[in-house]
Amino acid sequence: MTLVLENVSKVYKDGPKEFKALDNVSLEVKPGEFIAIIGPSGSGKSTMLSIAGALLSPTSGRILLDGENTANLSANKITQRRLEKIGFVFQAANLIPYLKVKDQLSVINVIAKNKNKTRGNELLGHFGLAHRVNNYPNELSGGERQRVAIARALINDPKIILADEPTASLDSKRGREVVEMLADEIKTRGKSGIMVTHDERVLDLCDRVVTIRDGRLEE
Amino acid sequence: MFLAIRELTHAKFRYVLIGLIMVLIASLIFIISGLTKGLSADNASAIQNLQADYVLMEPDAELEITKSFIPHKKLDDIAKIDGVEEANPLSIRMMNASVNGTQQNEDVALFVTEADGVLLPSVSEGKTIANENEVIADSSLKREGIEIGDTLQFGEESEFTIVGFTDNQRYSHTSVLFMDNGQRDNINAITIQAEEGKIDAIKSTIGDSLDIVTTEEALQGIPSYSQEQASLNMMIIFLFVIAAFVLAAFFYVITLQKRDQFGVLKALGAKTIYLVKNLIGQVVLLSVICIAVGVGLTLGIKALLPEDMPFLLETSGMIQTSLLILAVSVVGALVSLVQVVKIDPIEAIEGAGK
Repeated sequence: MTLVLENVSKVYKDGPKEFKALDNVSLEVKPGEFIAIIGPSGSGKSTMLSIAGALLSPTSGRILLDGENTANLSANKITQRRLEKIGFVFQAANLIPYLKVKDQLSVINVIAKNKNKTRGNELLGHFGLAHRVNNYPNELSGGERQRVAIARALINDPKIILADEPTASLDSKRGREVVEMLADEIKTRGKSGIMVTHDERVLDLCDRVVTIRDGRLEE
Repeated sequence: MFLAIRELTHAKFRYVLIGLIMVLIASLIFIISGLTKGLSADNASAIQNLQADYVLMEPDAELEITKSFIPHKKLDDIAKIDGVEEANPLSIRMMNASVNGTQQNEDVALFVTEADGVLLPSVSEGKTIANENEVIADSSLKREGIEIGDTLQFGEESEFTIVGFTDNQRYSHTSVLFMDNGQRDNINAITIQAEEGKIDAIKSTIGDSLDIVTTEEALQGIPSYSQEQASLNMMIIFLFVIAAFVLAAFFYVITLQKRDQFGVLKALGAKTIYLVKNLIGQVVLLSVICIAVGVGLTLGIKALLPEDMPFLLETSGMIQTSLLILAVSVVGALVSLVQVVKIDPIEAIEGAGK
């Protein structure tokens, strides 16, 4: 198992009231498995993804990243684990506006002090972006931007891929293409994938669909 | 620096604009510093370059050498005190001299001392004085067309002949003439050379009859010297503060605009220290370029200034000022650093962490 959530709860305090964003959630993701999380807005999808991605710590429960409990790690170590083990694909791509496509990937190499610089070009070629390497994000289409974001998530060869509504800014055809690429990467390279989505038309590309409602998981 | 350089080159326009402001502020700081140093030298270089450590004056004169009067015989008493290595008389008189008996008049400061004393500066042209009717003049008089061999007349007094020129001897914005008129009655001040360690003993020997001040302190007695320097220095301090605030405001706004990107980078695994280094790198890079351009601009402006304009740029002073501007810029950017540190990577995922 590369990603395990064990009895995870997240409670927000709002004055005297308590709000349970996640209520005793457990989830295991196997290598090569692609899970979709759906649910109405405010149901705790984003909270769950943030906790799985070590961006947020749970109120109770354990998260095992590649067998390691993140609860015991320092903030710097957690950042390092995110860098090494997790690839994020954000809503609306969230690329850095002043970096060319090739540098969107290089910056991760720089942060991670990677020596292997050729992988970026391979990935961009693989996603059909070879002719776009010297363009800035504002010169790309929405689909291209999201493909760059996927390439960026993969540059470090992480074991876990987390996607936050990757199709939100795309039309259904482009959205499906992007999710197909994501699913293909996860299956062929044996990664564990979680995708939060509203888009029911891409659910058939996932191995499992989990519904979250009022902080509880239903399968 | 990966991000810093790429952002600078991509967002050229906004960084060129802020850079332009920095260049102008840096140039203004350099120019006013040059003017401060120049006016200081124009007003006091004869005192600053005096071959003496301390100046003795009458207490009532309140540091104004020209208002102090000491009987000449005091000089011998002072010279005998243990620890005093050299003691020389100095009298300063502001005069108007007519040149070669013509209509041409020049304001000069007469520095009267002993021909065999240490106060007489070395000449850069001509020879030193040999008798009571010869003077050494500051080379700034050459700009008025005065040459060696010209005579100067003060009122009804006898004529003096310029036998040599010396450099950097100005007092109260006028050229200094050094002479020994042979008069041995009242003098304005006594200058001494003495080791710093022995000055307290010397002071107690002399008692209250004379004030002993360093040559540096004696500058304050030159009319308008301290007022002139204080107002210019205040301008420089204000410019430093303005530079800090302009940069602080600029980088604060830019950082606010980049919150999302910083959130994404942190979520992707960039440590805060990496982002901080990039921000500081940007500030340092921008400041260094702007200071360099500012130095160039200042040197260009200096070349255009008239020669008799009191303007003095020293390499050491320029380096000091440059480093100070750099330091002030970095301090200005600290406000933005707090922002960068505070940004939570969870902001990259919308709808979470609320």
